[in-house]
Amino acid sequence: MTITQSDLETVRSAVASVKDPEYPDLTIEQLGILENVVADASSIRVDLVPTILGCPALSTIEQDVKAAARRLGHEVAVQFCRSPVWTPDRITKDAQHILANEYTIAITPRLGRTQCPVCGGRSLEKRSDVGPTACRSVHWCAECRNPVEVVRSREAPVQ
Amino acid sequence: MRTWNSMEEFEEFLDAGGVVEPNDAMPESYRNAVFRFIELHANSEYMGGLTERDWIPKAPGMHRKLTALAKTQDEIGHAHLLYMVAADLAIKTREEMMVDLLEGRTHFHNVFHYRVHSWTDQIAVAYLVDAAALASQQAVFKNCSYGPYKRILRRVIAEEGFHMRNGEEMMLLMAHGTETQHDMMQESINRWWLPAVQLFGPDSRPGDELLKWHIKSERNEVLRDRYVQKFVPQLLGGGFTIPDPGLRKDPVDGRWKISEIDWEPLKKTMRNGGPDSARRIADARTAWQNAHWVREALDSSVEVPA
Repeated sequence: MTITQSDLETVRSAVASVKDPEYPDLTIEQLGILENVVADASSIRVDLVPTILGCPALSTIEQDVKAAARRLGHEVAVQFCRSPVWTPDRITKDAQHILANEYTIAITPRLGRTQCPVCGGRSLEKRSDVGPTACRSVHWCAECRNPVEVVRSREAPVQ
Repeated sequence: MRTWNSMEEFEEFLDAGGVVEPNDAMPESYRNAVFRFIELHANSEYMGGLTERDWIPKAPGMHRKLTALAKTQDEIGHAHLLYMVAADLAIKTREEMMVDLLEGRTHFHNVFHYRVHSWTDQIAVAYLVDAAALASQQAVFKNCSYGPYKRILRRVIAEEGFHMRNGEEMMLLMAHGTETQHDMMQESINRWWLPAVQLFGPDSRPGDELLKWHIKSERNEVLRDRYVQKFVPQLLGGGFTIPDPGLRKDPVDGRWKISEIDWEPLKKTMRNGGPDSARRIADARTAWQNAHWVREALDSSVEVPA
């Protein structure tokens, strides 16, 4: 079977709309997990960037990606890339808003202090390096007295 | 900070969908009820995390071990968040809650008072018990009047949904597996069906404060019935039987009806007198003592500002 440009595009858009298993409101594209969909003459490969190595959701995401392509009659290979490294700023702005407003999960900005998603306060106190998932740390907002989780980043430590 | 002049005024606020925040001057009886409810949830997440932990070395294969590890982290992480919110209500410190739990003075959900005998028991827990817990958490989340708790539940529910999917996948694997696997799965369903159904508790009392104050938003019997309607067909579809000789489909409304439940054993279980309660609590105590040096090291470490 020959892969045409339009096949590639339809597969790409199906794969892009796969939901993340732990954030059912967000797609893997919005979270910056989807890196690329590439094809040669006869096969399609989906490159994914894991938020964190050893993430237990990877095999679920892989199954879901393959199933999304299969619904269009295509078999795809899935590859988890070690490079580039995933960073929280790969999350789209829209998705960052959903994480903050719906899930009380903050993203550390490149510059400045992390803001509490509940009250907008800027005095989060770290309570532990990892929370319920390995990709988030746990903080306490002394202003509105809510626990807040922050997406971890090696490059931009929470301050 | 908001204040209310009377309980009637406060209840009107709750009935209108008002959400209480920690800085509000909430009535003490409401504060106590929210606290007890969150403490029970936190204790249950913690005890659940320890059960899950037992299966990390025993889970078959790398992938299942990774999942068990992640689920342990989820449950302990949920407990961590819940204890933070509970402690903030200033009724007990976190230390006091831990000591009360480990001394057997406070409680945790019935499903963590039984022994998990086999890998298929662990699957039944993930499939039947996690689903029951998720259903009750979803019902709390829908209309919960305590803001910080509602916010945690949003994330807890997303993560538990992932656990449930995992449990379902493993159950289907056994359902379509060898005869031995199918039989093992059936044995585990026989052991865990009733505890899962009982997780919702006896029918809600009229005037239940948790309902009145919108801490919970649905009656226990409604949640239990919805669970039965969903899981009876799923289990039968997997080629399993349900350990309830009185189970029947009502010819009038087409709904599944289960036998009357004798709640006496549950009451004893909830007072930490269940079949595996003593061992579970002792085990949690040992884990707490063994991790003492870790807590000490973390407490004494000084954060260097960036």
